[in-house]
Amino acid sequence: MIKKMADHTHIDWNWAFYKELVEDVDENKNIIQCISCGKCVGDCSAAKVSTFNSRKIIQKVLRGDKSVLKDSDIWHCYLCERCKRVCPKENINIPLLILNLRNQSFKKGYGPRYNDLRKYVEMSERYLTLGTVLEEPLGEDLPQERIKELNIICNFARINYVFKASQKKKKSVSKKK
Amino acid sequence: MNFNELALDLDTIARDYPDNPLEYFKDKKLCLFKACLEKYFPGVRWGFQDLLEELQLESSTCLNQSCCSGTFFQRNLITRAQFSAINERNLNEMAHQAEIAFFSCNGCYNSLLRGRDFLKNPEIREKTQNILDSIKSELKSERYEGMYDILNNPELKLVHDLDFLYLIRNDVLNTLKFDLKGLKVAVHYGCHYLNLSRDKKTTRSYLGSKTKLEELITLFGGIPVDYQEKESCCGWGASQLLINPKEAHKVTYNKLKSAENVGADFLLMPCPTCLYTLSKPEYRQNIEKWFGEKLEIPTIHLNELISILRGCEEDRCISLTRKTPRLEEIFEIITEDK
Repeated sequence: MIKKMADHTHIDWNWAFYKELVEDVDENKNIIQCISCGKCVGDCSAAKVSTFNSRKIIQKVLRGDKSVLKDSDIWHCYLCERCKRVCPKENINIPLLILNLRNQSFKKGYGPRYNDLRKYVEMSERYLTLGTVLEEPLGEDLPQERIKELNIICNFARINYVFKASQKKKKSVSKKK
Repeated sequence: MNFNELALDLDTIARDYPDNPLEYFKDKKLCLFKACLEKYFPGVRWGFQDLLEELQLESSTCLNQSCCSGTFFQRNLITRAQFSAINERNLNEMAHQAEIAFFSCNGCYNSLLRGRDFLKNPEIREKTQNILDSIKSELKSERYEGMYDILNNPELKLVHDLDFLYLIRNDVLNTLKFDLKGLKVAVHYGCHYLNLSRDKKTTRSYLGSKTKLEELITLFGGIPVDYQEKESCCGWGASQLLINPKEAHKVTYNKLKSAENVGADFLLMPCPTCLYTLSKPEYRQNIEKWFGEKLEIPTIHLNELISILRGCEEDRCISLTRKTPRLEEIFEIITEDK
């Protein structure tokens, strides 16, 4: 069961998770300066329309609470960087922390769901065949030899991974039935 | 190696060319970065291209440039090294043919600067170069010397269309056939312009950027109007619109409603992604369905507006697909003979 923030005590502080994140993205070491003033939440577009709460997310990370990786909250961030702009401390980069947490969430196989990525499947296919995310771009098409280069740079392995995971899940659900 | 000096230094140009900053661009090779969403708003590119032509500046687009891939990066579907490799590849291609690249889209502009930012990290830099090297080894050839090497102090500089248009505002004014006739205009800068600090060296240039649209409106004969949600997101929110549409539309609704409340005749912005989110008829219909209110405030990109004010053919400024009665009305008011 996940504890409410108010139920935590000093003995809950745990730096292992924080260290793990910093190892992945060094810049995130700066979140330790967070003074929980809440300016980031007050000015946040996502917080106005969802349960996204950057202050709570930072506190969870600093307490070593890995449930944050399972929360859908981290996928609601608009990455608009407004929090970074209004933060009174220097060099706290919340959008980068969110991307970092999403990476960890991917690695642990928590999210997002394949259904949420359907539009991206189409866009990534177009990217790997046309070099843009939309069909019939304005102006000339990217030459085929250049498209090959994009395929060398990335193959969207994560979309395939999420697709395979969703197929596996479907199979196990139908087996249980 | 310098990773910060990618944005064109506008302060220096303004200082060195106080009477005519346009002169700085006269002998330069210019390139327009192709934003994917310009497909829906061709006037955004054409309007800018036509203006450059009238100002006797030669420009091109880069055939080998791909999408900036920001949409994939923001959903964690590519790594930082892959993202940087895509953008470094684009920089290489543009640097091969131009000295200055213009951006009509906040997202693309931010992607190129952000990709470059990541290269400050030695580990990501190494991974990025390895990816770029694998292109060379797989293709077994280089089309030009140093192809896809991470650029060391690139001569290519990037500039957002809004920053350029503001810098040469008096020259822009001289090309206009019409004025805004006192229309009330609400502005939307877009998060990746408003919150961006990667291209600003001083507090003055950072804060100064946040009044440029209003100053241009006044210069063009309009009245800028303030509204509560001016600095909020358009609702695109790094593709939240695709994943959580109801929440994202609420953000869009709040913004449009807030601009309507202060009596704005239209909403002006410098980004086609914001324009897409704030104007797509399907999204407006969803807003009406979910929040019970039909919002009709028209939306226009700055490049399109300049095109209208210059008296260009209507279809050259605003694509037929997004015409609404209110947008048509604005067009008619502006282009009415004095």
